[in-house]
Amino acid sequence: MKRTLLIFALAAALVSCTSLYEEFEPVFTGKYEAPTAAKKVALEPNITIADLCKMYKTAMPWNVDQNLIIAGKVSTTDKPGNFYKSLYIQDETGGIELKLGRNGLYNYYQEGQMLYVRCFGLTLGMYGYKSGNYGGQGMVQLGYEDPTGSYETSYLEAPYLIDSHIFAGETGDKVVPAVITEAQLPGKNDTQATNEYVGKLVTLKGLTYGNQVFCLIYINSNKDKSMSANRIFLSDETWGVTTWAMSENKFKEYFDSGVWDSVKIGNAGDYNYGTVGEPNDPGFATSRAEIRAHSAAYSVSQYFKMGNTDIALRTSGYSKFGDNEIPKSVLEGKATVDLTGVLTLYQGTIQLIVNSLDDIVVHE
Amino acid sequence: MIKRITLSIILLFAALSLWAQIPTGGVKGVVVSRDGRVPVPGAEVVLSQGGVQIAGCTTGDQGAFLIEALANGMYSMTITANGFVSTEVNVTVDDGFVKDMMRISMTPELMVAEVDDSSFVEFDMDDSGYTDNPTIMYGTTDVFTSVAGYGFSSIRFKNRGYESESQDVYLAGVKMNDAITGYSPFSLWSGLNEAMRSKETTIGMESAEYGLGHFNGTTNLLGNPSAVRPGWRFSLLSNSALYRLRLMANYASGDLDNGLSYAINVSVRAGGNDWIDGVYYKNFSYYAGIEKKFNDNSRLALFTFANTGQRGAQNASTQEVYDLMGTNLYNSNWGYQNGVVRNARVRKTFEPVTVLKYTASPTDKLDVAATLLYRCGWNGYTALDWYDAPDPRPDYYRNLPSYFYMDDDDYNRLNEGKYNWALESWSNHSRDYANYQHINWDRLYNVNYNQADGRSKYAQEQRHVDQRDLNLAASMQWYPTDQFTLQAGLSGKINRTENYKKIADLLGGQYYLNIDQFAERDFASNEALIQNDLDYFLANGSAEKVVKGGKYGYDYYAHVRKGNLWVNGIYTVGGLTASLGASLGYETFWREGLMRKGLFAGLDDNGREITYQGKTLTTYDNKGQVISSKGNSDKCKFLTYSTKMSLAYLMTGGHRFSLNAGYFADAPTFTDAFVSPRTRNTIIDGLTTQKTMSADVNYQWGGNGYSVRVTGYWTKIKDQTDLMSVYDDSQQSFVNFAMTGIEQRHLGLEVGAKMPLPVQGLSLSGVLSLGEYIYTSNPTMTMTIDNSADVIYENVEIPYWQGTPKYRHVNYNGERVIEFDVRGDAVIDGYTKHHVPSTPELATALALNYRTRSYWFFELTGQFFAKSYLDMNPLYRTNIAVGGADGIITPEEVEYMTEQEEFDPAFLLNLSIGKSWYIHRKYNIGFSLNAQNLLNELNVKTGGYEQNRLISSLGKDRYYRFNSKYFYMPGANYMLNLYFRF
Repeated sequence: MKRTLLIFALAAALVSCTSLYEEFEPVFTGKYEAPTAAKKVALEPNITIADLCKMYKTAMPWNVDQNLIIAGKVSTTDKPGNFYKSLYIQDETGGIELKLGRNGLYNYYQEGQMLYVRCFGLTLGMYGYKSGNYGGQGMVQLGYEDPTGSYETSYLEAPYLIDSHIFAGETGDKVVPAVITEAQLPGKNDTQATNEYVGKLVTLKGLTYGNQVFCLIYINSNKDKSMSANRIFLSDETWGVTTWAMSENKFKEYFDSGVWDSVKIGNAGDYNYGTVGEPNDPGFATSRAEIRAHSAAYSVSQYFKMGNTDIALRTSGYSKFGDNEIPKSVLEGKATVDLTGVLTLYQGTIQLIVNSLDDIVVHE
Repeated sequence: MIKRITLSIILLFAALSLWAQIPTGGVKGVVVSRDGRVPVPGAEVVLSQGGVQIAGCTTGDQGAFLIEALANGMYSMTITANGFVSTEVNVTVDDGFVKDMMRISMTPELMVAEVDDSSFVEFDMDDSGYTDNPTIMYGTTDVFTSVAGYGFSSIRFKNRGYESESQDVYLAGVKMNDAITGYSPFSLWSGLNEAMRSKETTIGMESAEYGLGHFNGTTNLLGNPSAVRPGWRFSLLSNSALYRLRLMANYASGDLDNGLSYAINVSVRAGGNDWIDGVYYKNFSYYAGIEKKFNDNSRLALFTFANTGQRGAQNASTQEVYDLMGTNLYNSNWGYQNGVVRNARVRKTFEPVTVLKYTASPTDKLDVAATLLYRCGWNGYTALDWYDAPDPRPDYYRNLPSYFYMDDDDYNRLNEGKYNWALESWSNHSRDYANYQHINWDRLYNVNYNQADGRSKYAQEQRHVDQRDLNLAASMQWYPTDQFTLQAGLSGKINRTENYKKIADLLGGQYYLNIDQFAERDFASNEALIQNDLDYFLANGSAEKVVKGGKYGYDYYAHVRKGNLWVNGIYTVGGLTASLGASLGYETFWREGLMRKGLFAGLDDNGREITYQGKTLTTYDNKGQVISSKGNSDKCKFLTYSTKMSLAYLMTGGHRFSLNAGYFADAPTFTDAFVSPRTRNTIIDGLTTQKTMSADVNYQWGGNGYSVRVTGYWTKIKDQTDLMSVYDDSQQSFVNFAMTGIEQRHLGLEVGAKMPLPVQGLSLSGVLSLGEYIYTSNPTMTMTIDNSADVIYENVEIPYWQGTPKYRHVNYNGERVIEFDVRGDAVIDGYTKHHVPSTPELATALALNYRTRSYWFFELTGQFFAKSYLDMNPLYRTNIAVGGADGIITPEEVEYMTEQEEFDPAFLLNLSIGKSWYIHRKYNIGFSLNAQNLLNELNVKTGGYEQNRLISSLGKDRYYRFNSKYFYMPGANYMLNLYFRF
């Protein structure tokens, strides 16, 4: 009897012990306390954005191998969707795009917030450069190296890579755009290294509509995008596009309306594939049905004139205001607009990218 | 007169002297089960001397026996009973007395290895669209079921390959399978093992007293208080692979003199386990019942129970993640908040069930029973929800090294530098990197803090499936003659289940906006279209700002009505038993939307189109029907029926042969009937009853400790529908695959055998389940998006669902290449078969069992499992997936994309030990210890699923699959149970 009880007591003790032992970390099931706000980081910058951009040599992306730290205020937001997966920061000397590669960046990095970038290990490269008489400079950017060589830089993407290089500092007032004149605009060979406004938030006043759009459409984005037979260019005139950009649904609307029917398929000088209204390319098996089946959202450049200078207002098809109609008075040349956005260059052409519709002010 | 008296006296003395020559000794006693000391009726009691059988009898209803007319002497008494270990005791009869043995207890065969729901890990894979419920087989006296029921649960064995929905689970005579999904509802009473211990089971095609059943066995939990073991019982259980601790107390009165009986059972389950981080239980279960016996032939019982509390869930990940984390049991559901561990996916339930049951035996030849059962309460499951912010799941594919670099360039993942950054964040398992490997709660809060308008970008939602389920079932058994029994019954069910989600936690924000973010991307220009609650928007001019506890997203009722009549006649003559049964039922269900969604506005209350700012919101499908999210859908109506027959012949010597066959036409479940139940009333095209034909043949034999059953079965299931709702991040939305016309065939052999070994108390059991469970049709699929009006694919055939072509290869210039015929088509030599997933087609076990007379129990079991397959994603079996971006289908693409993964075989070793003691013949204490997976096998896959994504190749000429996600079995683990009762 006693022995039995003893054995039982031992067994009970054993169970109790294992019961008291908890797994590595028990789950907390009480009331969760809200975490404190993340600490704001402050680093000491040792180079300006303009000086950093000066270290870039055309067509030679540079994997930064020095302990360079830049600091700047966030001038853009991806909330309305016109910027996507990247943001711009600027200091007194210039502005630069950080190709972070994550969506919803405004959730972490707000307009007006100081950001510090440890450049070591990142890559300084250019997007949008084209050589020759018809070309010009693009924009110097900070990203990660792209071993495929498709671009000079790639997006950072990997969370640990971002967290190891980009540090969020104090939040503050939004960047005040510089109001600049036509004379202060960059030339086609300017970059952040040579013109202080490139990459910064600027306001351009008194612009008139240029009656010209630019938009590159792919017949089937799953097929090779570099093939001429896969490309449709809307350029030189407006082609009936009266919105800032086009969502997938807006694309279908334009396509179905027939306003593009006479647009030729193919690169300039290679119009051998019929028109949007009557595709004619047995080799590529193009048909109207195929174009429609691969409808997508597209970015559009709407051209404006600032004096004699062309300004392309580049808007993403994924932006929330892309489908908004451009006011009729603007399209008819009866009203001027003031535009506030990041001043960029693409193959020497000035492209302005606005944060939101509030950045387009119409003067009737 | 005197003469007559004298004669009488003489006769009396003569009789007495005659009497004196018959031995007057004897033995009597009561045979009881050691498990609760319940009488064991029908036990065989045999007395023998020197191996020669002298006398014998069978115990009566109360377990009592009396053997008289025994000569003085020593006897060996052997007691055998179905389901009990045979017992042998020595009896001495002397002085011609009837010796009273009092209670003789027998040990149930399943005393240690009894099925306990604590052995079943519950998997939740809501997001995956795949379900993975094991078939829970309760131990019966059948060797196969008793070995497989408990022992195969760790591998998630499904009996004969059938889905768990095909198993009919009854409670007090009411079929409890979920009205909406058909799942067996074991979680309703988990933690109440004592109250629900008494049960009746049938296997395979056998029918039961309480219902005709289907083809995968039936189980009826009695549940009434008089069926609960009388006395007190306390137990303490620790399970290292599930939860830390279970404490349980039980009391049942048994039948009291006043005809009342009552019972109460409570338990708590708490804690996590040694294998899977982040998983925990925090549950309380209760049962209480009272029963009144009126005279001798009727009883009324009332009982209620619930399992309430919360349970942190586990999630499946890809092999890449498991390898990076160094364990196949990594769980991506948890992370740190303020330094404490928090699980994002918590199942919270409170679903009380109340039962009123009446049974009566108005005559010797008639038994009747009627039950009223009501189930209500709520069942919630939390998950993270987010809007325009990065995916918070740590193992999201874009966070993994493989997203940046893969050895094969054709995957177009070429950035080794980023690969190394991702690798570093996943390969160091110190706390510094925890926020990359687990959910970073602090960061989610900080994102919400950053929103000036107080709008939460991350929130924890709670998806509810709240049932109101009313059931009435009645049955009778009539024995007009000794040869004939007629069983019949009827049942009805009214179910209304509300499906919705609500905000469980705003994670530091102030509100969550009730809009559809996917719709917002496509229909940004029309604010009305992106509303989850259009009525609110039209009334208030803006979307609702939902606060904690508020419903949002979707809200609808599933209404189900069912009625069923059944009858079964059993005729027995000599050793032959024949039965024939049939059932006829009617089932209707419909959806009633409670929230009007902007995309599927439908018509207003007056039947008019709905407009907003001059634009018509009402839309129509391609048949001209209004697509509606609110109000009642069409009613789906089904006539259901089934028929069953069986023939059994019991030969002398205990050999029993039987044959069963049946045909079943069952309604599809609500969950499989709607294109997108969350968002609209649209019903799947071509909805019809699922037809099943099944037959089995059996041979059974038992006696002297031997027991054998061999069953061969064949089952064909046709016209199945299946809806998989999967979160697809390419669409940033739930997508729905509605499949119709699925056919499958189950063919196999089931063997269970037990034999005693020459050593007293030692026996050997072996079971084998060998089957082939395959798909035999190519169903059609319609793929839709929850949050858009688009139908992506409509009625597309899935040409590679039932098999992958076997292309003929030839040698060409020393290389093995695929042979093409003159027309340029690849030559095919048949197809490989695709299998019903997530259960081994070969499962076998051998158990060595040893019991001592002092009630020690040992069992060592070796198990082998093979031929288990991964659940298939229909997308990978379509021409869309094999065609690649260029749409050109090549044999290489077909082979790569459509093949089904077979899991590696597994060998497992388990050990059980148990012992019980009696103290003062009144108190009983004992323990049982089950040590599972002694070889610590860590690579045993139990299930999983294929992801619904494709990678376009570098050359854009083909697609690659995303990595599949898996569940694994825990390594070596134990379950220790201590109990005390009196």
